Amino acid sequence: MPELDDKRLSFKLVYYGPAQSGKTTNLLRLHDLLAPELKGEVMTMETQDDRTLFFDLLPLGFRAPSGLLIKCRLFTVPGQVAHDGTRKAVLSRADGVAFIADNQRNQETNNAESFRSLTENCARVGIDIEHLPLLVQFNKCDLPTAVPEAEIRSRWGSTPWPLQFASALNGLGVRESFATLLALLYRRQNAEYALAEQHGLSEAAFVAGLLGQA
Amino acid sequence: MNPSGFDREWQLGELLDSAQLSRLGAALASLLGGDCAIADGNGQPLLGHIAPTARRQAIALELEPVAILHSASADDRQLAAAGELLHAVLRAQVRFRMASALHLEAIAEDFESLKREHAHLLESEARYRKLAAELDARVKAQVAQLEERQQMLYEAEKLASVGQLAAGMAHEINNPLGFVRSNLASFQRYLTQFAALRGRLSADLAAWQELDLDFLVEDGGDLLRESDQGLERIARIVGDLKAFSNVDRASEAFTDPNDCIRQAAAVIEAQLPAGISLQLDLLPLPSIVCLPGHLKQALFNILRNAMQAITDSGQPGTIKVSSEATVSGLYIRIHDTGIGMRPEQIEHAFEPFYTTRPVGHGVGLGLSTARSIILAHSGTVSLSSQPDAGTTVTMTFPAPP
Repeated sequence: MPELDDKRLSFKLVYYGPAQSGKTTNLLRLHDLLAPELKGEVMTMETQDDRTLFFDLLPLGFRAPSGLLIKCRLFTVPGQVAHDGTRKAVLSRADGVAFIADNQRNQETNNAESFRSLTENCARVGIDIEHLPLLVQFNKCDLPTAVPEAEIRSRWGSTPWPLQFASALNGLGVRESFATLLALLYRRQNAEYALAEQHGLSEAAFVAGLLGQA
Repeated sequence: MNPSGFDREWQLGELLDSAQLSRLGAALASLLGGDCAIADGNGQPLLGHIAPTARRQAIALELEPVAILHSASADDRQLAAAGELLHAVLRAQVRFRMASALHLEAIAEDFESLKREHAHLLESEARYRKLAAELDARVKAQVAQLEERQQMLYEAEKLASVGQLAAGMAHEINNPLGFVRSNLASFQRYLTQFAALRGRLSADLAAWQELDLDFLVEDGGDLLRESDQGLERIARIVGDLKAFSNVDRASEAFTDPNDCIRQAAAVIEAQLPAGISLQLDLLPLPSIVCLPGHLKQALFNILRNAMQAITDSGQPGTIKVSSEATVSGLYIRIHDTGIGMRPEQIEHAFEPFYTTRPVGHGVGLGLSTARSIILAHSGTVSLSSQPDAGTTVTMTFPAPP
């Protein structure tokens, strides 16, 4: 849930998905591509053979016209099945989720399994997935083994979640995915925190503030 | 908000305790030329005194300053270098704190998962225990049923072998019976002819009278009649034996058992003495595949016993026949208000040739015949009775599939 004091409002966004689907790569590319007013370093906690054991953290922020500091902290979960307890702890208190799927045909089972674990863990940590800002990104679209976009759209088209296609390694679709998630986050939180009314933040300004296009 | 979550924004006071801070402060003071003060992100001094002329260097871990380094004695370059050092220390600290806090949360989560799984396991263990107990009970029940069926089969076999013996005997007896009866009939005619001789001997009856042939002719006729009655009785017994052993096989038919009851009741009703009434209380039954002739025979035998039991009591009485269909099968009950039976009589009631009647008034095949017929229809028959209070015979048949 967002943390608010009189000077700052902090959101937590979680990059969730199966092992080696590109969650950390998304974060690293975002760090390179975005230029918000405030941008921290990517904090990589602990890795083993280049695989996340705990989490990665990228902090971003900008100041609203009202002077309120809007902070957005992006976390990744460890994708490996064994780290479910860690995954659940990282997912706790999330305000939005980017589900990073590995869009290769032989990874479909892993994607489905990970998505199932997302819904289960949401329920366990008290997140209502029905109302959670959630974006689904199909990553590694540049690979020859990738499932064609049309097929994905026909299969996922009926779900309520926006779909994005990306090649995180090449920086493609990463920024768009994040922007889509931010728009969902704004729509979910605007009323509660009076972002437009009290802080002069429109949806476009909110997204632009964190992307760095202001 | 979760102030204990690993993902909170850590404050300087949490990252370094006062002992760590003072050791670090002392080291930094040496590097900075003597003066060093450290405040947290909100400007609150945690170490040293902030001189009015001090230069300041903010140190951010994420976006906002988490510590502010002050020194009046250092130049910009020194302050920036010391700031870098402090930043490196704090960065290492925050990584360690976040990792250990997350680790604790993850452990707690894993423990919760284990507890949930443990609860599931306990639940399923209880379920399997229950299932095992149920299976055990079912096996026991089936074994008991098998034993009971085996016992019944054994009894039926026993009866069948008796029946075979009886059938053989009946066959063997029938032949001599036939020619003895035929011979006796012929002899009766001869005796009549012999009696006619007396008319021819009108003058000289001395020899006739001397030999007392009048008595001989008269008594001879009586003897022959008696013998004939005796033979008839033997023939009837043999007939019963044949029926008992199912020698005359009838054909199976799809029949309403109530019809069999009505037909058997009609036969017995014609034989009822005054003072005995018959009452039918029949509920609808499904038709079953049976040997109607045999079934009627069985019912007739039991009805005849009921009639005799009431006759024996010397009082007026009622035979009540009821039938009903339940989920467990078809039930037919024949109740009489007759003399009843003692426990030892009940014990032997279904055995062949067991009878309480004087010799010549029953061979003791009625109930055993009835029983073998009912067993042949996959049914059961039981008897409950109290002396002087009457008897109830209960027959059950499996419901048609």
